[in-house]
Amino acid sequence: MMKKAETIFGKVVFGFAAVCLFGALGAQSVQAAPGIPQGFDSDGEKIFNRYNETPLAAMTGTDGTRNLNAYYDLRQYPGSPPRIPHKVATSFSGEAQNCLACHETGGYDPELDAFAPVTPHPENVLCYQCHVPMRTDKLFVESEWQSINPPKLGLSQLGGSPPPIPHSLQLREDCIACHTGPAAVAEIRVEHASRGNCRQCHLPMVATEPPVKAFKRN
Amino acid sequence: MPILSYLALPQTGGLKQLCNDLDGLEYCEIIPSLNEEVVVLVTDTPDLKAEKNLQKTLKELPSLQSLSMTFGHNAEQ
Amino acid sequence: MKLNRRSFIKSAAAGSAIATAGALFPGISFAHWQKQEGASGQITWQKAPCRFCGTGCGVLVGVSGDRAVAVKGDPNCSVNKGLCCVKGYHSVQALYGKDRLTKAKIRKGNKMVEVPIKEALDVIAAKMKETIKKHGKDSVSMYGSGQWTIPDGYVASKLFKGCIGTNNVEANARLCMASAVTGFLTSFGSDEPMGCYEDIEHADVFVTWGNNMAEMHPVLFSRMLASRKRKKDVTIIDFATRTTRTSQAADKSILFKPNTDLAVANAICYEIIRNKWVNWDFVKKHTTFHKGKTNIGYGTEDHFKFKDAPEDISFNEYKEFLEDYTPEKVERISGVSAKDIKYMASLYGDPKKKCTSFWCMGMNQHVRGTWINNLVYNIHLLTGKISTPGNSPFSLTGQPSACGTVREVGTLTHKLPYGVVMNEKARKKAAKIWNVPVSNIDPKPTYHTVEMFRALDRGDIRFMWIQVTNPMITMPNLNRYRNGALKDDRFIVVSDVYPTPTTDVADVILPATMWVEQEGMFGNSERRTQHFDRIVPGPGETMSDTWQIIEVARRLGFKKQFPWSKKDYIGKIWEEYRRFHDHPKHNMAPYTLLKERSGVQWPFVNGKETRWRFNAKYDPACKPGSKFDFYGKKDGKAWIWARPYESAAESPDNEYNFWLNTGRVIEHWHTGSMTRRVPILNAAMPESYVEINPEDAMDLGVVNGEKVKIISRRGSVTMKASINGRGVPPRGQVFVPFFDESYKINEVTLDAFCPISKQPDYKKCAVRLEKA
Repeated sequence: MMKKAETIFGKVVFGFAAVCLFGALGAQSVQAAPGIPQGFDSDGEKIFNRYNETPLAAMTGTDGTRNLNAYYDLRQYPGSPPRIPHKVATSFSGEAQNCLACHETGGYDPELDAFAPVTPHPENVLCYQCHVPMRTDKLFVESEWQSINPPKLGLSQLGGSPPPIPHSLQLREDCIACHTGPAAVAEIRVEHASRGNCRQCHLPMVATEPPVKAFKRN
Repeated sequence: MPILSYLALPQTGGLKQLCNDLDGLEYCEIIPSLNEEVVVLVTDTPDLKAEKNLQKTLKELPSLQSLSMTFGHNAEQ
Repeated sequence: MKLNRRSFIKSAAAGSAIATAGALFPGISFAHWQKQEGASGQITWQKAPCRFCGTGCGVLVGVSGDRAVAVKGDPNCSVNKGLCCVKGYHSVQALYGKDRLTKAKIRKGNKMVEVPIKEALDVIAAKMKETIKKHGKDSVSMYGSGQWTIPDGYVASKLFKGCIGTNNVEANARLCMASAVTGFLTSFGSDEPMGCYEDIEHADVFVTWGNNMAEMHPVLFSRMLASRKRKKDVTIIDFATRTTRTSQAADKSILFKPNTDLAVANAICYEIIRNKWVNWDFVKKHTTFHKGKTNIGYGTEDHFKFKDAPEDISFNEYKEFLEDYTPEKVERISGVSAKDIKYMASLYGDPKKKCTSFWCMGMNQHVRGTWINNLVYNIHLLTGKISTPGNSPFSLTGQPSACGTVREVGTLTHKLPYGVVMNEKARKKAAKIWNVPVSNIDPKPTYHTVEMFRALDRGDIRFMWIQVTNPMITMPNLNRYRNGALKDDRFIVVSDVYPTPTTDVADVILPATMWVEQEGMFGNSERRTQHFDRIVPGPGETMSDTWQIIEVARRLGFKKQFPWSKKDYIGKIWEEYRRFHDHPKHNMAPYTLLKERSGVQWPFVNGKETRWRFNAKYDPACKPGSKFDFYGKKDGKAWIWARPYESAAESPDNEYNFWLNTGRVIEHWHTGSMTRRVPILNAAMPESYVEINPEDAMDLGVVNGEKVKIISRRGSVTMKASINGRGVPPRGQVFVPFFDESYKINEVTLDAFCPISKQPDYKKCAVRLEKA
């Protein structure tokens, strides 16, 4: 189970492909009146916009190849920016359009034979600022780095109740980007992609932060 | 590096004792039941030698009535 | 990250062991593991309506042993079709707060002392007798709730109005739904919406009038979003005074200055007429035009009285009245551009588009609440967009049974279960069903809620029994009413499930059963009556509110009127109550059917629910041969009202230069006495805050999380600033959620109300801010 994931992202595939089937289907975004505030409520507008723009087929499709182990293999600690697991052209140095061609709305890339994961923050266009490719697997010196476990899944308060959002919403405001569609990580993919008001049921309870004290009357 | 899980049953009325004993062992984690005389034991040993030693210790625990394995995994295999 | 993989494997290992244990020992649970789904035990599921808002979602409560352990959406309930919101999913946890009231308490000196509940009931009955003897029957009062079950409200009304003979019965729904009621009565002569939630799937245009549905009615909001996604040409307009989560999801967010919705609604009607979008066939056959008094006051003084004097007017007079409300003139009043006003009018005016308007507290908690309800109905009436699928002016409710208990049972001072106390026929009917002399029922209403608390402060009322509500958080201008309740020689009984600021002022506390610990019915926003069984036992000496009233009634000597046994009292009470509505305009379903189904809509006629009232195609109460019949009014016609724009009771000035708006957040329900005891809800929203516009915050020199003092002429609260948080008020306005008893924002608010409905306006008063 653990090994299978590595074979998909572990092998080196040359060339950067930009054939993204779903990209063409994106509708124009909904615009509020000028002068209406933007960027409040953890940028919740993103969820509604993506929900409205993404065809249902694109939200419910799955190829089931990405799993949580593969996901955390690309990260150094829970919440760190993932490294780029595929080959990128050396001349490419942060031109957003190249990354976003695949990662803005997702879609199938025949060269990598994989669906591109969708970024929850396409407005940050200097991708290389945080995401870097891996050119060698040799270390300069061994590291004693250790991190904490990633948040457990299934932290539902009751059997069957909606699990809380175990991660911070910073840069990960757009639930639909990561939790639906063919590239979604199998373990965290929602089975009810047809719902659009995610935070109606799922509240943030950041698992890596100390818990809030229970309510007590003064 | 084997990881195994068991259902551990205590000698009658000895759940608390069993939990204390198991919790005190290296490489052992327990999840006691709240309403039945049974405890889930998860063991995570670094190598086969440690695993063998642990199994021996478990067999000799006086507070343990029976142990049945529910899951086994050896990460390096 | 090898560490992580190992932990995954370990949790899989533990999960496997737990699953095996579950198969061997049904019902087994594990420490630190009770949260894990798949910890197989056995759960039985029973239907109930959700405990919280007026949407009335059907839930299935999962029971293991004698405890509620889980919730899922009821797929058989047409309201939510299996979806809940985060409060609903965790609602059963609200039963298990550690400080649950399980014993009766009586004040002895400065201390509350636990006593057997029988003794507390004796004390209540004795105190009521004594108070009536000393100060008259109008010195005792009952203050109930839209969270009362229907039987709770029914026995309260029967005891106070029928047996004791005082109209001192009010409920907190006066604070949330009274303007909706008077809006319906003045426009249609019959309370509650004509449409139903199915309108959501039919409508092409939605306008949310001061209504943050995304947080307050999330399940209906999701239904709306799903419909927009499916149909693609659906438009959602958020028309509000503050930018919210609803604005984010809407196609367009339009902001107006507080209270100027009156002017905008009139401007929309002006445009509809100017552009010849009036549906003349409908208007000529089914409507008449009227005007009422103007400059009607704000009720901030004691003994305030108001009675409207409706006059008939012609269409031309109405049209002339609207000349003051051209989009250009209204732009200057409201801050809404003429272009946006014309855009809204064009949506309502387009004969091809089906339009649904939603509103809740924004329009109801409004010093001209009745008027703004009338004005939105005007829009729908002029265009004939009413009482047909998708065309619906829809007034939402905030409590699970504001409709069922307060509006239908009539637990308000002027109401009876059928009709009003002023009407002799209605009194006779009530006396007959209640088995009391008709002379018992007083033909004069006494106090509406605000005036009732004023009467308590003045001493006109000496005894008040408060059930299922928390007025020591929710009364506006709270300092006055708390001081009043604490005065000597005032006796306060509080029935509740947790200690609250209201139990803090009590002389007797009765421990109540909550929600599914008792049998009962709620009535939701769309005329749906929803029955629930007693699913789990209540803790300790808890007793249902209905049974508490029955016990006291018997001690007061009314055994004949309250003869039921504990075994079947709810069914018996329902069948007695149902006799009040024994006519095709309001027939209710029989008890046996309510038990079977996940809610039944009234009017329930010949075994069928009525989806759209006043439309002959769906409503059997309509006159034969008519297409529409607004039978609430004698002439069968709906009333279009000329109602002007008037300003709020208190607007910002040089000294108090900010508007204060109050409301809710998705996590907490009302005063938070239940939801703050649900761990996940408390964790997500542990305390209240004041939302400030980012530019105002900069002027004030305040950053996110810094403390700000909010000061009005009545009181002040110091709390943390929230900038670009859940919502953003425009410049010159602040917003505070009222759930947090540590920050009693109602000590700051003003007790001004709509003179017609007597519902206070919690959305508008003047404050100033200081960096604290």
